[in-house]
Amino acid sequence: MPPPVIQLEQVRKSFTMPGGERVDVLDIDFLAVEAGEQVALEGHSGSGKSTLLNVISGITRPDSGRVAIDGIDLGRLDEARRDRVRADKLGLVFQTFNLLPGFTALENVLVAMAFGSGRPDRRRAIGLLEAVDLGHRLHHRPAELSTGQQQRVAVARALANRPRVLLADEPTASIDAAHQAQVIDLLCGTSREHGVALVVVTHSAEVAGAFPRRLRLEDFNRAAAVLRRPAP
Amino acid sequence: MNLPGIAWRNIRQRPLSSGLTALSLALGVALVVATLVTGALVKRAFESGAGLGYNMIVGAKGSPLQLVLNTVYFISKPIENVGWEFYREFLPAARRSDGVDGRYAASTAVAVPTCMGDYYRSFRVIGTNADFFGKLTRGDGEPFRFAAGENFRDDDFFAGVIGATVAETLSLRVGDPFSPTHGADDGKEHDPFRVVGILERTWTPIDRGVFVNMEGFYLQDGHAKPLPDGVEAPAGPPPSGDGPAPLPEVQREVTAILLETASLPGLPPELTAMGLRTAINEGREAQAALPVAEIRQLLDLFVRPLELVLLLVTSLVVLVSALGILISMVGSSLERSRDVAIMRALGARRSHVLATVLIEAVMLAVGGGLVGWVLGHGIVAAIGPWIAANAGVRAGFLSSAPLAEALLVPGLVGLAILAALVPALAAYRADVSRWLQGSG
Repeated sequence: MPPPVIQLEQVRKSFTMPGGERVDVLDIDFLAVEAGEQVALEGHSGSGKSTLLNVISGITRPDSGRVAIDGIDLGRLDEARRDRVRADKLGLVFQTFNLLPGFTALENVLVAMAFGSGRPDRRRAIGLLEAVDLGHRLHHRPAELSTGQQQRVAVARALANRPRVLLADEPTASIDAAHQAQVIDLLCGTSREHGVALVVVTHSAEVAGAFPRRLRLEDFNRAAAVLRRPAP
Repeated sequence: MNLPGIAWRNIRQRPLSSGLTALSLALGVALVVATLVTGALVKRAFESGAGLGYNMIVGAKGSPLQLVLNTVYFISKPIENVGWEFYREFLPAARRSDGVDGRYAASTAVAVPTCMGDYYRSFRVIGTNADFFGKLTRGDGEPFRFAAGENFRDDDFFAGVIGATVAETLSLRVGDPFSPTHGADDGKEHDPFRVVGILERTWTPIDRGVFVNMEGFYLQDGHAKPLPDGVEAPAGPPPSGDGPAPLPEVQREVTAILLETASLPGLPPELTAMGLRTAINEGREAQAALPVAEIRQLLDLFVRPLELVLLLVTSLVVLVSALGILISMVGSSLERSRDVAIMRALGARRSHVLATVLIEAVMLAVGGGLVGWVLGHGIVAAIGPWIAANAGVRAGFLSSAPLAEALLVPGLVGLAILAALVPALAAYRADVSRWLQGSG
């Protein structure tokens, strides 16, 4: 049986605040997401959702524990190899879109392809943008697109390198209801068709309700549970 | 999309800052190119004038450099004159009235006398004989060619040949009269001469010369050497045709004698020249100067240090241009940090972002450098006519200082890379998670 596409074991992460205080953000014993599985990740603000996504994507290294993507232990890789894993196996959709402002919608997708192992494929990039109804906005820069359109570009970009893992941080927070469903359908459809492990952070119960697996961070992240606990 | 494509997008993303950086670079390079090329042209002007078909100049005792500058480049005043008798020492028996070989005739292949001191407008008037254009060469070994008319004849006393710049500037044509003035361009006006030939452009100081038959030159007021009290002027050579009688030899002087030395039997030409030069310089009447040696000395003394100063100025301009790149890129580093973080999150390695910033700097340097190079040559082309008129050397868009220019753009690119290392390393070290903070 193949290993889970995402696997976290005994992962701990804390940050030192400007005042010198150390704050635990992640304290997770175990988390696994299988290929083709779709997970909605819920949690209150500050519960460590973004940090968890950064740890899974290898952007942030945990203080301890093991993070494996597609069976590859990120902790055993040097930074360049982690970057390569991120480019090839992960697609990220950020909360604030994080599109490159000087690049057109099409170029934003092509840039992501440039860092992967394959060659940038213009036709495929156009196809991805057409799949999110942006075929007529290929050469527009982010500033010329609506908030919802920007988010859809971010989704298309995340799918650029045929990732094994899709991590989306509030991908529907800024788009209208019609396009919310389209984006979720696109993400979930891609996950199902290509066996991609999908983790979507959301505050929306309606969006979370569309996912077969819902996780509340406070339920498996001891650090978040401590933060939530009322003062005695 | 590859790394250069990303770098190009980054440049286009900041059109004003990138444009200003490239413009400042272009202006710096243009200034440097124009200076270098003009410097090279001036140097070439001196070097090209150092070989006009003669290898020695004989003139009055004094500074040999002044003798060369005055005779070859028409710069500075003549030192003094030497007597006609001394000039005759270079002539063979056949050309002397006494039928005896001159003292130095055996060492002389060609001896062309020149007389100076007059002007026509702002141009130097040189009295000489037909051998100047008949036996000397243009400096490139080619004989003189006439764009119109022909060389003057020695028996046509009031005939003259003018250089291309003179003809162009003063709109003179064959057959036009012109009256030189004595001593300065606003001096006393002499008898009129007639243009019989206009030279093709030589791109040497010759283009700025007005050459008249020295027989006519001698007959002008103030040009005859005064005789001692009580001595009567002897009869000169017989007049030719209906013209006036030539000035008696005893009253004649020459400013300089242009010599092509001969090879004495069994001696290499260099040794003959050295021997002749020593013999003349040891005498009391005149000095002999070797134009090539004098010009080389001048270049060593003045032009080379000037070149060093130019090189220093050039280096400073290029350094300032590179600093412009540094300032521009550091200035945009805040904006860049977010982009770098996004690219890193997409899987770009640190080496990718380092390379992207460096490529961006190289593009700005090469782009600005090329625009500046074209602009610099454009400046040279624009001032080309002025350089041609004043330095007597061809100057156009394609004039170049090959070595300096070949070093300039690569040097600039190297400096740009050095300057861009600061923002590039900042991008290299950018903290990705800090720039991608979410609310969760």
